[in-house]
Amino acid sequence: MGSTFGGISNASTAMGVARYGLDVIQQNISNATTPGYTRQSAQQATVDSATGVPSIFTKPAGMGGVMISGTARMMDPVMTARARTEQARSAQADTTAGGLSNIENLFPEPSNTGLSEQLNDFWNAWGTVSSNPGAVAPRAVLLNKAATVASTLNAVSTSLSGLAASTTQSLTNDVTSANTAATQLATINGQIAIASATGASANALLDQRDALLTSLSTLVGGVATINVNGTADVLVGGQSLVAGVTTTPMSVGAGPVLSVGATAVALTGGSAAAEVTSLTTTIPNVQAQLDAVANRLSATVNSGQAAAFDLYGNPGAVMFSGTGAAGLTVAITDPKTIAAAATPGTTLDGTAALTMSGSGRQAGGPDSLYTTLVAGVGSASALAQQQQTTQDAVTSNVLQLQNSVSGVNTDEEVSNMLTYQHAYSAASRVLTTLDSMLDTLINHTGLVGQA
Amino acid sequence: MSMRVTDTSASLRSLANLQSTGSRLADLQAQMSSGNQITKPSDNPSGTVRALELRGDLKRNTQYNAAATDAIGWLSAADAAYSQVVNLTQNARTLVVKGLNNGASTGTSAGALADQIDAIRTSLISIANTAYNGRPVFGGTTTGAIAYDPAGNYVGDNGTVSRTVGDQNTVQINQNGPSIFGPPGNDLFARLATISTTLRTNPSALGPQLSALDTALSSISDAQAVEGATYQRVQIAQSTQQSTSTALQTQLSGIQDIDLADMAIKVSTANVTYQAALQTTASIRQMSLLNFLR
Repeated sequence: MGSTFGGISNASTAMGVARYGLDVIQQNISNATTPGYTRQSAQQATVDSATGVPSIFTKPAGMGGVMISGTARMMDPVMTARARTEQARSAQADTTAGGLSNIENLFPEPSNTGLSEQLNDFWNAWGTVSSNPGAVAPRAVLLNKAATVASTLNAVSTSLSGLAASTTQSLTNDVTSANTAATQLATINGQIAIASATGASANALLDQRDALLTSLSTLVGGVATINVNGTADVLVGGQSLVAGVTTTPMSVGAGPVLSVGATAVALTGGSAAAEVTSLTTTIPNVQAQLDAVANRLSATVNSGQAAAFDLYGNPGAVMFSGTGAAGLTVAITDPKTIAAAATPGTTLDGTAALTMSGSGRQAGGPDSLYTTLVAGVGSASALAQQQQTTQDAVTSNVLQLQNSVSGVNTDEEVSNMLTYQHAYSAASRVLTTLDSMLDTLINHTGLVGQA
Repeated sequence: MSMRVTDTSASLRSLANLQSTGSRLADLQAQMSSGNQITKPSDNPSGTVRALELRGDLKRNTQYNAAATDAIGWLSAADAAYSQVVNLTQNARTLVVKGLNNGASTGTSAGALADQIDAIRTSLISIANTAYNGRPVFGGTTTGAIAYDPAGNYVGDNGTVSRTVGDQNTVQINQNGPSIFGPPGNDLFARLATISTTLRTNPSALGPQLSALDTALSSISDAQAVEGATYQRVQIAQSTQQSTSTALQTQLSGIQDIDLADMAIKVSTANVTYQAALQTTASIRQMSLLNFLR
């Protein structure tokens, strides 16, 4: 300690640092549950000697107190980047599994109500007609079963179109959200650059930046690069979405094809990637298979009808009209025009109906096509669920690791609080002692011999 | 360095664990309440395919069974007709023998015999029109209600009536009038008419008619034998259907149904685990250093 009053300023720096430490703790505790908040920590440094002070007061050189050298943002950049990547994958896996689960719900198999059972009933109705070709009732039942099958195919097809429409809506929403986040990120980049240049604390801005980067990862699989001054650039499918304060908005074109600016991009992650796959591949595939079931059913029945003769002795009429699962309708209304007889003329021959009733087990027939469809949807959904479970476990693990660095632990903050409290008390005690010493020096020296 | 535990990471972990335990419980409860191991195709894609195939087989089996029952009904009606036809034809033969023994007398006794033959002929025509479910069983695929008109002319067609009573097992269950009673114009009814006329005019010329009647009888017996064999074939198919149905049900149940005892234990274990997880989470999250500072 150099000067007489040096100790007082030293003690006051200690008290100031303790108070700043408490401020930071208060900030941490207040934001313990704030999403995206990164724990801060007051960085202290010793002041070796009071520079700029006349040497007479600093000799002999000694400890000059304590100062706040900065407020650190406790985060691991590598872990944070990895967390973003895994969150993008998770969003993709979740959306994929959710989409497939929605498709799977359209095929409630095995059950007593699914299309498979309706087809079985339809073929059996042909058997009943063949046993009693002259009666109208079994023929009417057959027409009903045909109508049931057709309306189920219509309904599933409509639901599938509905799923495609809602997925398109989600994709549009995701892209709109991504554009909003990109614009916000560009604004924050500008503020961070200014704060960084002026040396002001940008911690809160950096938290906001990270939250936006996470959004962009989960929405469109945006890949972030953090620059030295704390600003972040984002690439989507290799194209620049945000570069400093500049953004290039994304758009959804027909197909759907996503573009950044005018350049078409293929997404590598995020919910939008899963939605694009669903719209371009998954849903059209299921629709095509469903249409194949409907067309095969229609072809099988109609060709059988054309080769056989109805109860009036005429060649059978077309039973199913329209193409595809959406267009399939039952074209005949008169039960007597169902062709059950293999021989022309008015007979009670049921051979043609008997042959038709065996079509259900035909290899490559509508039933077998439908079973393949259900198996495909089931397998795809099971695989997606498995991938989702695995990916979610990885993501959750990485988030925990990230959070273990960045998150607030109340116990830790309270114990730090005690430390600062005691440091403040001790510094106060030093001040009191100095005060008492100065009192002795000023008021009680040189009084020897005074009356 | 051990991992730092923060409030958020602890709650994230608890939440993840609670969610996985909760979703396992929900899956088990869905299986338990539906009674099905497979509540959606993705639960077991290959099992779903097998279940759909088995359900199709079962449905077809039901249809085969209905067809077999119908075939049995048809064949029973035909069987009763055959027995009566054989009896009546034998009666007619006895009458012809009696007529032959009486010699050339064309008196009242021959007339009475002829009357009896006419009556038998009428009965036979009526039996030949035996119907099952509104269809004459010996009339082929005719849309009419009779196989032979009152004059004894065949008015049916030569169509076949078949029932599929099993996979690759289609059985023809009908025989047409001409194949049983002889070709039109020369069938049993025509012969009986001739016999009746001969009895009234020249009983001594009955000789050739007797052998013709014997030929007709043997043709009827042949038809009856064919009918009996078909009947047996359908019965065998029906008993096969029953054992097939049982086997299919067993297989389907193995794939699709839950083991109730096993499932009950799994559900209760999952329930306990879930409760424990909830309890622990609740009590751990209450604690902090603040509780112990004064």
